[in-house]
Amino acid sequence: MKPHCDVMVIGAGPAGLAAAVAAHDQGVRVCLVEREARPGGILKQCIHDGFGILRYESKLSGPEYAQCELEQVIDRGIEIFPETFLLSLGRGKTGFELTLQNRWQGVFTLTAAALVAATGCRERTGRQILLHGTRPAGVYTAGTVQRLINIDGYLPGRRCVILGSGDIGLIMARRLVLEGAEVVGVYEIRDEPSGLTRNLVQCLDDYGIPLHLSTTVTRLHGEKRLEGVTVCPVDAENRPDPARAQYLPCDTLVLSVGLIPENEILEPLGVELDRATGGALVDQTLMTNVPGVFSCGNALHVSDLVDHVSESGEIAGRWAATHARRVRRIGASQPIALEGELLYLVPQRLDPQAKGPVNAWFRSRRTLRQARLEVWAGERRLLERTYPLVRPPEMERIVFDLDGQAWAGQRFRVILREVRSGG
Amino acid sequence: MDERTRALVCIECPQGCCLAAKQHGDEVKVTGNRCPRGLEYARRELVNPCRTLTTTVRTTFRDYPRLPVRTAGEIPLARVFEAMAAIRGVVVDRRVQSGEVIIPDLIGTGVALIATGDLSHQEEG
Amino acid sequence: MTLNQVRAALARVGLVGIEADEERGAVVLTGAVASWDQYVSAGYAAAGQGFRGVVNRVEVSGLGQQPMALPKKADGSLDGLEYDVVVIGGGVIGCAIARELTRWSLSVALLEKEEDVAKHASSRNNGMVHPGFAPTPGSRKAYYNVRGNRLYDQVADELGFRFERCGSLVLLSASWHRLLYPVAARRARRNGVDGLGLLGRRAVLSREPNVWPGQRGAFYLPSAGIVAPYEVTAAYAENALQNGAAIHLNTVALGFTVHHGRIEAVETNRGTIRARAVVNAAGVWADRVAELAGDRFFTIHPRKGSIAILDKKTAVHQSMVFGLLRLKGVGHSKGGGITRTVEGNLLIGPNAIEVPGREDYSTDPTDLEYLMTHHLSLNVKLRPSDIITYFAGVRAATFEEEFIVEPSRSIANLVHAAGIQSPGLAAAPAIAADVSEMVAAQLARQMEVRANPNFRSRRQVSPRLAQLPLTERARLIRQNPAYGRIVCRCETISEGEVVDAINSTLPALTLDGLKRRVRTGMGRCQGGFCTPELISLIARETGQPPTAVTKSGPGSELLVAETKVGATNGGGGHQ
Repeated sequence: MKPHCDVMVIGAGPAGLAAAVAAHDQGVRVCLVEREARPGGILKQCIHDGFGILRYESKLSGPEYAQCELEQVIDRGIEIFPETFLLSLGRGKTGFELTLQNRWQGVFTLTAAALVAATGCRERTGRQILLHGTRPAGVYTAGTVQRLINIDGYLPGRRCVILGSGDIGLIMARRLVLEGAEVVGVYEIRDEPSGLTRNLVQCLDDYGIPLHLSTTVTRLHGEKRLEGVTVCPVDAENRPDPARAQYLPCDTLVLSVGLIPENEILEPLGVELDRATGGALVDQTLMTNVPGVFSCGNALHVSDLVDHVSESGEIAGRWAATHARRVRRIGASQPIALEGELLYLVPQRLDPQAKGPVNAWFRSRRTLRQARLEVWAGERRLLERTYPLVRPPEMERIVFDLDGQAWAGQRFRVILREVRSGG
Repeated sequence: MDERTRALVCIECPQGCCLAAKQHGDEVKVTGNRCPRGLEYARRELVNPCRTLTTTVRTTFRDYPRLPVRTAGEIPLARVFEAMAAIRGVVVDRRVQSGEVIIPDLIGTGVALIATGDLSHQEEG
Repeated sequence: MTLNQVRAALARVGLVGIEADEERGAVVLTGAVASWDQYVSAGYAAAGQGFRGVVNRVEVSGLGQQPMALPKKADGSLDGLEYDVVVIGGGVIGCAIARELTRWSLSVALLEKEEDVAKHASSRNNGMVHPGFAPTPGSRKAYYNVRGNRLYDQVADELGFRFERCGSLVLLSASWHRLLYPVAARRARRNGVDGLGLLGRRAVLSREPNVWPGQRGAFYLPSAGIVAPYEVTAAYAENALQNGAAIHLNTVALGFTVHHGRIEAVETNRGTIRARAVVNAAGVWADRVAELAGDRFFTIHPRKGSIAILDKKTAVHQSMVFGLLRLKGVGHSKGGGITRTVEGNLLIGPNAIEVPGREDYSTDPTDLEYLMTHHLSLNVKLRPSDIITYFAGVRAATFEEEFIVEPSRSIANLVHAAGIQSPGLAAAPAIAADVSEMVAAQLARQMEVRANPNFRSRRQVSPRLAQLPLTERARLIRQNPAYGRIVCRCETISEGEVVDAINSTLPALTLDGLKRRVRTGMGRCQGGFCTPELISLIARETGQPPTAVTKSGPGSELLVAETKVGATNGGGGHQ
């Protein structure tokens, strides 16, 4: 018996759409499952511009970018199951078995030779950063506020405090002000902002919204609706100093305190995760440790540019098709050792058998001025690049070639170090 | 003599140069930039900062109560709230497609407000 | 047995200037102290001296009376209603009592001051159905706990809630603790707890491979079980409704009309309700309700406990409940540990802290740190990052640390079910059975009380798809496609289930109500994705605007305005 399709893509956000197109273009049968009614993922609510600078060389809004990607899927006639929920994943005789549910077909099973997980990420909540006090209405994650305002057309509060200087938080600060709410300030526990500079300028400075660094919210007040928060400066170890705590009246707290890749659905298959990214451990084909299971987009690691998300979708889709057609020989992949100031590097492993250039993405642990990145295979340096500035919020992308040699026994290393001037 | 100094962070590229821009009348002097784009950026920010405005407009459709829109080009930052007030009065009652013009000339800027979402594939009304 | 003994006990703990008097067989303490701790010590010093209870009227300087959150609604809509029995309090005890009372041919009403049942302790505990090993032999706690535990299989079957007898391990931290087994066995025998076993270190490991490596064996209690406490409460309430009881939400008892030692009517914020009998199941406010009836002989002193919820993926790491044998007492708590939930999460906690606020559910960093250091380590697989959220509950403790389940001695038609703290959930079925007998006996003196011929012990339940086999789910989706559309992705809850809950006999009309009824928003995203969906479903089903939808009743509205409508706020007016 043949499986229902060669490549099953889970999630029709930017990563999944790109993966479906790339897999289809390899000549295999592709299916796309999406739990929401409309494809596009989180881009549907990201109505601000700045998407597609690399991919389309223009600053599109999120819905426009999604539309461009979706049109390619529609043009190819790729089968999409909208509003279809993946209940569980397993293995059957003809490949992976997906148990799905929707309102038209009820509960049904589809099989696929290869899987691409493009399941995105979720937002960290207040309790997950150990916020204390009461649990009133008016405490939202930035993404929920974005959905309420941009899709549903409702304002969640009048006087808002934003915790965390992540990009969504900054963008929602501007959105709230434009829609008539007051934003008291953005509070960031770290000593530098987490968002892109462009957003700091155009979302905060433009509207006179203050950013308070090394300051956090420690307590929520109010029984029914939020009445205020305690904000408190922190020391170098991020410990709040109660002596300098301050009460701020507000009816809304917007949390922009991090994103967590969603990979729970893969766990029953035994997919291993990277603690640094929260996503799967993959080789340069974006295949996980489970042959035939690929990961991409924000489920693999949280990106700050959608262009990178689409690119990883393309890679995963292309290789998933290769896998489904059984034309790939899987080599014994080897881990890449990270040295210096790297927070993480994706992929985490290299398969010496996989041909073609290697795309990799990394983040630094801290802000570096004049940094050098090197990629080594044994005693050979494959790549060297210098950067005038590397910041943790801004992901960097590199490409290098394994030029087809036998790498057995070679040790792969990637090093990121600050270059001291004159030293 | 009209003189003021502003500290700016250049957003033309990820380097994020810290600029100091001084204005003497019509002349703008910039320091801290590492390339000509920084100079141009600072000039623009001092003389007439402009932005693309992205927001939503009301629709009459229950399945899609708000349509995302943006300005087709940049409009002066100083007029953003005026533009928001004008947009507030608009209600879209047809199944527009992405790119369609919603307001041809937004508050006399000569810049159009265009749809960035697509209502054409929706079923119910 | 004399007030002098009480006075001596007060002096022993260094409390001077507190007066002790006797009233209705109880000690009444008056005076003033500097701190809440001293207030609590005074209460404990006066307890156990042979009196019926302690009425602690000692004032704490700088601390006024703790306010009760009152419903905003005040109308006369219930004025003139008449019931055979009015039960005050919609926690698990009150709801179970109301349901048991419907076995008789009586008109029954339950008053709950909140907008839903199970808003306080009954949704703020770890869901454990204790085996009954911990309470002192011979106490009412021991009696009701063990009897209630035994009743759970039947009640769960009738009411259709999930109940698992998962068993519990009381871990031993030293090998010599095993020598205590005969003592433990004797206690278990006296309490009527069946099946107590002693497991060696390896036997524990073979059953629970991830257990704390420091363990040196465990007492095994096979009858320990787990339930979702809010589910049990709602199930009792719904079955009571199905058998003809009335539930008046947003209704608080503000006073009683008492005549010749009988309550004639209950005064509420929504009018005066006539009652032939009254049950006090008012939880942390039970002493205040007793006082309103002129029958106060005890004091509730709130004891807060915090509990952290771990991600469902941790459930594979543990199958039983873990606790630690603590020889030195940890105050008046069983010490907490790790519990499983019927939904598959693990819970750590609770701790126990005396607080003045009876509805103070705020949490503090110190509480969570305590749970992480004392409880998390009982399972080696658990990490602080597994915590998805945490909450606090308040136990309705008396200074005697004993349940009060008895007819009033001064009011002929009042029954108290008070001081029901842990293991109150386990005890609830037994307490409810006894209280309904007590009420029936009181009423039998003034009217004929017959069995209700129409009583249906089985609750009609709406389907919970995640608990059904796939073929059954498919059938339901064919019948109602809304069951096919998932709105809460973390917990796999469909639109159909949410709509059922909104339109059920006990409607869930708030975000928190839906959470307690169908678990929406209880998963790892904590409502991040489903909140907007739920707001629009509640609005659609109830015909209200989304701005009227609340998290937990009036005052907790989730949205303030529709955008692009009405006067501008930010950018100057224009139309």
